[in-house]
Amino acid sequence: MRIHSALGGLVLLGLVAACGENAEEAAPAGEAAASYPTESIRMLVPYGAGGPTDLTTRTVGACLEEELGQTVVVENMEGGSGALAMTELAGAEPDGYTLSLVTAGTTVLTPLANDLDYTKDDFTPIGVMSEVPSVVAVGENSRFASAEDFFAAAEAEPGTVTVGVPGASTPQAIELQRLADEHDVQVTAVPFNGNAEMTTALLGGNVDAVLINASSDVVENIEAGAFQPLVASSEERLSWLPDTPTFTELGYEGLTLSGSTFGLAGPAGLPDDVVTTLEDTLQTCLDSDEVRQTIGEQYVPEEFAGAEELGSILDETQQAYEPILG
Amino acid sequence: MGILDGIGQGFAVALDPINLLYVFLGVLIGTVIGVLPGLGPTATIALLLPLTYEVEPVTAVILLAGIYYGSMYGGTITSVLLQLPGEAASVVTTFDGYQMAKQGRAGPALGIAAVGSFIGGTVAVIGLTLLAPPLADLAVEFGSQEYVALTALGILLVTYLGTRHPVKSLCMAALGLLLATIGQDDITGTTRFTFGQIALFDGFDFVAVAMGLFGVGEILYNVEKTEKAQAIKTKLKNVWPSRKDFRDSSGAIARGSVMGFFIGVLPGGGGVISSLASYATEKRRAKDPSRFGKGAIEGVAGPETANNASSTSAFIPLLTLGIPANVVLALIFGALLVQGITPGPQLISQEPEIFWGVIASMYIGNLMLLALNIPLVGVFVQLLRVRSGILAAFALLVTMAGVFSVNNDSFDMWVVLLFGLVGWLMKKTGFEPGPLVLAFVLGSILETNFRRSMLLSGGEFSTFITRPMSGTIFALMALVIIISVISGIRKRRRRSRPATPGEEDLAATGTTAEPEGTPGNETTDEQAPPAESGVPRDRS
Repeated sequence: MRIHSALGGLVLLGLVAACGENAEEAAPAGEAAASYPTESIRMLVPYGAGGPTDLTTRTVGACLEEELGQTVVVENMEGGSGALAMTELAGAEPDGYTLSLVTAGTTVLTPLANDLDYTKDDFTPIGVMSEVPSVVAVGENSRFASAEDFFAAAEAEPGTVTVGVPGASTPQAIELQRLADEHDVQVTAVPFNGNAEMTTALLGGNVDAVLINASSDVVENIEAGAFQPLVASSEERLSWLPDTPTFTELGYEGLTLSGSTFGLAGPAGLPDDVVTTLEDTLQTCLDSDEVRQTIGEQYVPEEFAGAEELGSILDETQQAYEPILG
Repeated sequence: MGILDGIGQGFAVALDPINLLYVFLGVLIGTVIGVLPGLGPTATIALLLPLTYEVEPVTAVILLAGIYYGSMYGGTITSVLLQLPGEAASVVTTFDGYQMAKQGRAGPALGIAAVGSFIGGTVAVIGLTLLAPPLADLAVEFGSQEYVALTALGILLVTYLGTRHPVKSLCMAALGLLLATIGQDDITGTTRFTFGQIALFDGFDFVAVAMGLFGVGEILYNVEKTEKAQAIKTKLKNVWPSRKDFRDSSGAIARGSVMGFFIGVLPGGGGVISSLASYATEKRRAKDPSRFGKGAIEGVAGPETANNASSTSAFIPLLTLGIPANVVLALIFGALLVQGITPGPQLISQEPEIFWGVIASMYIGNLMLLALNIPLVGVFVQLLRVRSGILAAFALLVTMAGVFSVNNDSFDMWVVLLFGLVGWLMKKTGFEPGPLVLAFVLGSILETNFRRSMLLSGGEFSTFITRPMSGTIFALMALVIIISVISGIRKRRRRSRPATPGEEDLAATGTTAEPEGTPGNETTDEQAPPAESGVPRDRS
């Protein structure tokens, strides 16, 4: 094991060195794009192994590998709320051999909140891989039976209703800020670290409600009756939660940004034909039943959203967040 | 489904030849990586995670669980032999285990740890089988206030445990708390003390800090002290603990099993707190607490039992609520998610073969570990024969490779070297790295939960006292502080003027349980070790 880990380290170093060389060689060769791809593709995940981002990237990565006939290496590069991976992506050669999962959080929110050297314009959007909406949920025996109860209490006594969010710089936290700024409904946002902590806090009755990513663990809790969904973050009602109203329906217009869009993107200046190749392949992959089922049927957009749509989602988020964070 | 049906089905799954092979692989890998400083269960499981996508979900979890509790056995070995904790939960084992090794009693220390680990692990698996559902209900009641109480208690115990100099311990704990503030603020999201470095956004990596202070610091210290090669003649007799050793540690093992089990169930509990709590309890209960830190066998048996029990019971919140209790279980959680299985309230009913299969594999795995460890203790004692220069260079290499492998980030390697230097200076000046590292870990939990409690209560401090569980823990802490302050004053008075006979009696009965600043402790400082014989760093 000692030898293995030492060897593993050496091999890794070797790989890193090799990647560097390849990138330099490929740099001036714009004409190589015609036959793209001719070598292995690196796909970054700005978060740790095992989460929904990892699952999505690995599933799409495996499909791209099959469709394009080149090895796709998925690499988890967590840290700095996605800043590590995004810096790596922004600095990579725009040749289509370095791609990454991106979210509005990593490309818009993190650089705005932390004065980083990159912005969303340092990336070329390719397409949407999956969309995970957020929901406002309460516990089983909550004093709020409906969204109306919840908002009535929040308006009657500003700041007394506590709502858990998955982190301080998350779309969910900003959304509660916008709820206060734009609609004058003040709740106390309590930041936790991710879904698991929020789930415990809600089940233990330590927060009144949560604004949470409706990933598979949350869906399971909703199905088991432990969570009562009150509001959905999507523009239209979710097909699998037909009885849950949206913020828009309840009169809180514009609050549609707390969900997560997992997009695929490359560095800025990616050649058009490479983008088209990747966009088409991504669409093929997302049509496959196997891919849809692995990612979760409810998370893959029914209509494919390509480079343009992903770009406008990021633009829209930037416009909404700049006044708050800039 | 009843427990009997369930466990029957579980054994049917676990005894499948493939799964048996994976249990064995898991516990073997776990033991080996537990031995290697720097390459803990977290790093290993993270490295192996992609491989598990290829096997059945239950097999994957059996393998990863085996690595986890196996590493708890293995982590003891370097703690005892080299004062290098193989993983965080073994930090307290170095206090007495290393002293035992210096006294030529490395064999019994490792033997009792293996036996204790087996008992603790087995008790915890039985507990897991019987109590999983009701216990999960209790654990979920824990809110931010309880975390504040628990971590504050942890930090108090850390400084209380500093066997040498309480003021120095306090300084180190304070430094650890300060270091914990580096990085992104969990509540407002702003970055603190990062100087624009993205690598510092998430603060210092715990593994890197711990390996630097404990590992590299110790290596440098040893290298400086020993120029000459030393052929150590540790006799291999006494590998199996004596009857007296068993008698001395039976209580510690029993208490460690129960305590470790319950602490492991708490989200965030895990190995470190359980081994600390057990050590503190044993020291308090002992007739002669001054033996602790000088090679008391209970100080090895208790914590080692407790950390094994807690690493098993930590599966309860994961398997019944889908809440990973610590980083390792978060990775196992991830492995299940990738397989399309969401651990949660429905796991027992929907995927019984996973729930019961994993539990059954733990019975088997603990048996295998006992069988592996008893003969291997002898093999590992041989490590003492290796020249410390060679061992140091090798340990440094493995540490650096191991730390790099955690995040694939060379920044962490610089952190290790920096903290190695700090650790070396601390050792030279008589400061203990233990309180620093533990305060560093607990500090961010404490801060985040304190501020969360303030948000939840609208800034009312009374929230810590009015909640029954946190109130109880705080009352306990107040009691500990009052007792140690009073006895401290008494002791000082006794020293400054001739005590009356009555007072002396009082002091003898009332304050022997008070470990800090006991007269004569200073002589056990760095100056003392060269006087003892049969030590790796013997100068003669």
